[in-house]
Amino acid sequence: MLYAIIPLVVDGLANAALIFFVAVGLTLVFSVLRILNVAHGSFYSIGAYVAASMGLWLIGSGLNPWLSFPALLLSAALVAALMGPLIERTLVHWTYGRGEAVQILVTFGLFLILEDLQRIVFGVRSIYADTPMALLGVSEIGGIIYLNYQLLLIGLAVLVLIGLRMFIRHTRYGKLISAVVEDREVSEALGINTRRIFMMAFTLGVFLAALGGALATPTTGVAPGLGAETMVLAFAVAAIAGLGQVEGAAVAAVIVGLARVLAIYYVPALDAVAPYLVMLVVLLIWPFGLFGSTQTRRI
Amino acid sequence: MSNDQSLLSVRGIQVSFAGVKAADNVTLSIHQGDFTAIIGANGSGKTTFLNICTGYVKPQAGAVYLEGHEITALPPRDIARQGIARSFQIPQLFTDQTVRDNLMLSIAAREGVFQGFTPLDRPEYRAEADELMALVGLEQVAESLTGTLPEGLRKLADVTLALALKPRLLLLDEPTSGVSALERFEIMETLMNALRESKTTALFVEHDMDVVRRYADRVLVWDTGQVIADGLPETVFADERVIKSVLGAM
Repeated sequence: MLYAIIPLVVDGLANAALIFFVAVGLTLVFSVLRILNVAHGSFYSIGAYVAASMGLWLIGSGLNPWLSFPALLLSAALVAALMGPLIERTLVHWTYGRGEAVQILVTFGLFLILEDLQRIVFGVRSIYADTPMALLGVSEIGGIIYLNYQLLLIGLAVLVLIGLRMFIRHTRYGKLISAVVEDREVSEALGINTRRIFMMAFTLGVFLAALGGALATPTTGVAPGLGAETMVLAFAVAAIAGLGQVEGAAVAAVIVGLARVLAIYYVPALDAVAPYLVMLVVLLIWPFGLFGSTQTRRI
Repeated sequence: MSNDQSLLSVRGIQVSFAGVKAADNVTLSIHQGDFTAIIGANGSGKTTFLNICTGYVKPQAGAVYLEGHEITALPPRDIARQGIARSFQIPQLFTDQTVRDNLMLSIAAREGVFQGFTPLDRPEYRAEADELMALVGLEQVAESLTGTLPEGLRKLADVTLALALKPRLLLLDEPTSGVSALERFEIMETLMNALRESKTTALFVEHDMDVVRRYADRVLVWDTGQVIADGLPETVFADERVIKSVLGAM
């Protein structure tokens, strides 16, 4: 029995780790900017494309394949640094304080633009760059074989969760973000540059999504449509947790990750809908999500 | 650039909301060291005036000057950095944080040092926050979350947050509303001591005339967006127009 369950749990947690990166970025952006960014999934797919391209270039250039690991992180950082401030300042900025319909339309428009841009830049064929997974190999613990890369993903997600908590609770930026989340008006009255905080939070959200995408490349082919698929999953996770919940996003990601894997193993026909069935049940019982409330300001 | 020597001056400001005038060609000055009360019926434009001075509402006409420099178009954060701090009618604090953390945040915002990844809890900030809490008597609740404080202490913490910015001008929107009559005078005494100690000029909106008589050295009377009386409390309170149109309506 244990032999059957443990690999399932590891699979589910590795899957949850990838969803967590995107969902926590989505929830962070929502908390600070109060915008449901429909284009958030595109940053995941762009992160994946950039990481896969960089990985393939590294191997093609005959460089040390272990450089693939820092390249994953570098890809996410590049995407965030280039796209985060630019998009926030030029497009997202104009939706602040406007109705949800405007925000959704603008970010949906952005999503469509980014999806087409990816097709133009990276083409429509799937890209595979699984060097990091191949390099790490497998481990056998208690007679069960694990993919080391999956264990790395789980560890990284835990590190990101702890890091985000530390960042928000203990650094000056984090305190400023919390202050802006709680009360923009007072933050402005104290002289806090809320514009800078918005840009920073948006860029951090882009980085987290792109990091999820970059880390996913060794486990899957990168193809058009990846962003949309991930976005819907991230929405489900954020809704289950309650928008604005960092730890909640982690718990919800684990629930969704495990639900998906259990569905794949036991009821394959339900694979695609399992996360949404979970979401439906959770929202029917807790309309604001497992950890949410009517006020979604806590992060 | 304005030529007068006032700390704050407004010239011909006009604001209306859906045809209702909240500021109707208002011109006035606040001088260094003044402790000025603004009184008037609800909806007369008192809070709008504070919002104009702090950049939350932009006038449709006229200008606001701080020490002769125009600040009309500046966003609230820049006006705060120029030295105008404010408290709100309903205490606005970061309720998930302790009183000390709230104050340290305010101090850090004032310092404006871009050291984002360093801890907020620095010894010099902590010492300054503790000093401020001692000044207003909040030491006992330093570690309490502001969301758990009773209304009187929340009011005091709210004003202290503004004081932590070391403002040249402090605008207080009903600093004693929602607290008992006894607490009202305690808060005002504490506040006055802190303001005198820090040599801060203040402007406060107030509905309690006993508080105004006791603490204000100048009173501005607001009525439908206009200042209808301006002077010493005893003079203003004896004004027939004030008695008829404002005090009778309060």
